[in-house]
Amino acid sequence: MKIRKKARYVDPGLCNACEECAKVCPVVKPDEFQMGLSSRKAIYIPFPQAVPCSYILNMDDCLGNNPIACGKCADVCEKKAIDYDDQDEIIEREVGAIIVAIGMDVYDPTEMDEYGYTRFENVITSMEFERLICAGGPTAGHFVRPSDHERPKRIGFIQCVGSRNPKIGRPYCSNICCMNTVKDTLLLADHYPDTDNYVFYQDIRAFGKSFEDMFQRSKEAGTKFIRGLPGDIEEDPETRKLTITVENTTSGRLERHELDMVVLSVGVVPPKDRDKVSGLLTLSKTSDGFFMESHPKLKPVDAPTRGVFFAGFCEAPKDIKDSVCQAGATASRAGALLNAGEISVEAITSRIDEEACTQCGLCAAVCPYGAIIWRKGEPAVVVEAACAGCGACGATCQFGAITMRHFTDEQLIAQVRAVLAENPQDKVFVFACNWCSYAGGDMAGISRMQYPTTNRVIRTMCSARVSEEMVLEAFRCGAPAVLVSGCHYADCHYINANRQTVKRMQRLWNKLDKAGVRPERLQLEWISAAEGQKFAKVMRQMEEIRETVTMEEIEHTKQALKPKPKKKAPKSKEAAAAAS
Amino acid sequence: MAEVTTETFRCMMCGHEYQEKVEKGEDKERSCPKCRSNSIWHLKKKRPAKE
Amino acid sequence: MASNPKDDEIRVGVFVCDCGLNIAGAVDCGAVAEYAETLPDVACVVRNKYTCADPGQNEIKDAIRQHRLNRVVVASCTPRQHEPTFRQCVREAGMNPYLMEMANLREHCSWVHPGEWEAATGKAKDLVASAVARARLLQPQEELSVPVTKRALVIGGGVAGIEAALELGDAGHQVVLVEKQPSIGGIMAQLDKTYPTMDCSI
Repeated sequence: MKIRKKARYVDPGLCNACEECAKVCPVVKPDEFQMGLSSRKAIYIPFPQAVPCSYILNMDDCLGNNPIACGKCADVCEKKAIDYDDQDEIIEREVGAIIVAIGMDVYDPTEMDEYGYTRFENVITSMEFERLICAGGPTAGHFVRPSDHERPKRIGFIQCVGSRNPKIGRPYCSNICCMNTVKDTLLLADHYPDTDNYVFYQDIRAFGKSFEDMFQRSKEAGTKFIRGLPGDIEEDPETRKLTITVENTTSGRLERHELDMVVLSVGVVPPKDRDKVSGLLTLSKTSDGFFMESHPKLKPVDAPTRGVFFAGFCEAPKDIKDSVCQAGATASRAGALLNAGEISVEAITSRIDEEACTQCGLCAAVCPYGAIIWRKGEPAVVVEAACAGCGACGATCQFGAITMRHFTDEQLIAQVRAVLAENPQDKVFVFACNWCSYAGGDMAGISRMQYPTTNRVIRTMCSARVSEEMVLEAFRCGAPAVLVSGCHYADCHYINANRQTVKRMQRLWNKLDKAGVRPERLQLEWISAAEGQKFAKVMRQMEEIRETVTMEEIEHTKQALKPKPKKKAPKSKEAAAAAS
Repeated sequence: MAEVTTETFRCMMCGHEYQEKVEKGEDKERSCPKCRSNSIWHLKKKRPAKE
Repeated sequence: MASNPKDDEIRVGVFVCDCGLNIAGAVDCGAVAEYAETLPDVACVVRNKYTCADPGQNEIKDAIRQHRLNRVVVASCTPRQHEPTFRQCVREAGMNPYLMEMANLREHCSWVHPGEWEAATGKAKDLVASAVARARLLQPQEELSVPVTKRALVIGGGVAGIEAALELGDAGHQVVLVEKQPSIGGIMAQLDKTYPTMDCSI
């Protein structure tokens, strides 16, 4: 594992946070910590309690790239902590467990133009509210409205901004916004008892320990909770007051409220860096975009990848208490793994029979791990410690030289034959990969989604394990329809082994077409572990396909796909094409 | 610049046939623009149209 | 094993789990068990209320001894949940854990086909037939042990990452905490007061 330690340009070991540097810095930039509500210099401390407690120089803002232009901060620094030539550093560390706690991003309400976040100064987000009410904020905790710095008397909170809204692709509940708003109303009632606070909501979800109590206290403090989400907001250009129009769904009446200020209670979204991290660690995500755990109830903090655990928001929206609980759980899970000292690797690795190997090298070309060593003129060799057991090599080898331990050709073919031994015309044959599509089937089961009973699923570790022979055998046994399913490209648990599945499917479709078998009877789908719904849908589609296949067609297929006598050695051209 | 060709694909689920520009060596999950199925058959043509 | 010629014979034990009514409510488990008896090399079939519970596991262990089983098929739930359980179970009875196979009658059958008694039972039979066919060809395997580096990486220095890193540190493990921002604290540090206790975030 490699970490890029970014250059700070200020040595945190020397810096005593005396602030002299920032006083002389001529560059003024919006302060990200204060949500841009105040400014900072190019050299700054992110916030007073920052850890490490040190200033940092943002080189993108600094003029000091060219020391002739500016070098003021270095001149005043008594500790000589500032180094314009500081460099990023690459740190390499081996680790035995990884905890992913990359958090979340806050929803940007710009796209919900009806609320005028970018048009009206006095419409702010709940994050900006936090800074405005905080003693360490830009106004030292004096809550004022941005347009005139006057204290607002009538404040409205709008809930579910960016949450529970399928129209903008955010159907999930962000979990924290209801209670955050309740907290905000209590803060206002405490600091400014004379303000009128309104909360516009669809449901108040006060489900946690002592939440209901807080909600009741807010009501007792005078907060008016109005059920209904506003349709739009208008601004009086003179007074900068805001008028919101809302259908009160309790009374059924259309109401208008004039307010000094509106707080958009914004939801949360999966973190920007999610895909980068999930690519590095082969993680999958739910339809909401948060990380998918190994089992929703029984392994809630384990990633499907062994040794990786989830803590906090990146797994699903949750509040601080739940984040802390989950973090403790991950520490315990990771600690158990580290304490064990060693783990056993499932005995599902590849083995090559030297005698049978024709030294074609195809297996080495398809191995995602580079675990097969092949030199021209020598039989290929598997490095067992590097092999993860996907079976891409085993399905590629046409000479029976490769045995996938515990997922042998014979075992899988025996399953195909057993399933299709009787009345094959009534069955849809399905190959599913352990990590995603099979787990997607499990998810459909856990969620009690119903689909036709005709499918018969067998499991391989990776869809790349499914050889042409296995698919053809299913058709030969009389299967009307066959599905090969695996992980989405980004989720493949064997780096990119499922690209071999795609290549094989192309060859199979060509082959079926050539043999006069309708290629539509063979289907390919990527189904993630979270996509129970897609699994059920695909099973319905497969059943529709099955219903179109006649007995005559099945008989014809059996004849058309009769195995040809075995080839002796691959033609070099074919070998090159298959490996490309 | 990588070589770009226009290729023909057929969705095996809904039968929709469509063309798409393909960059040589690209690594992209395919799905049908109409029905979102991943059963995409890459129809090989003799003459790839050069862009 | 190979010293006794009798042991070359494949002897499969099939354990059909009712899972209370989770499976037995939608699948005729009795019929599935009867069908399993007709499958090649099946030496014994046992129907359990809950195969994963201790009594169920003990039935497996007893049957292995009594019927000299050398292959076990557990027809219950997804191997993604209980494969480790049953591998451990047969290991305790002296069998190589890789000689155990599962048929997923719950997630892939009873839970998705309620009210389809006949068809779901037919499917369950096929799943058992498939598992038995595979089990007959299973071979004992030895696992490779790999040392675990005694160090953890925590990605993200927000409240969850900090807490996880501290806990691991307190437990005596070396931890590398990676944060992309100049300071740890995450979004929580930007909050003023936090619910439900109304205290400061930092």
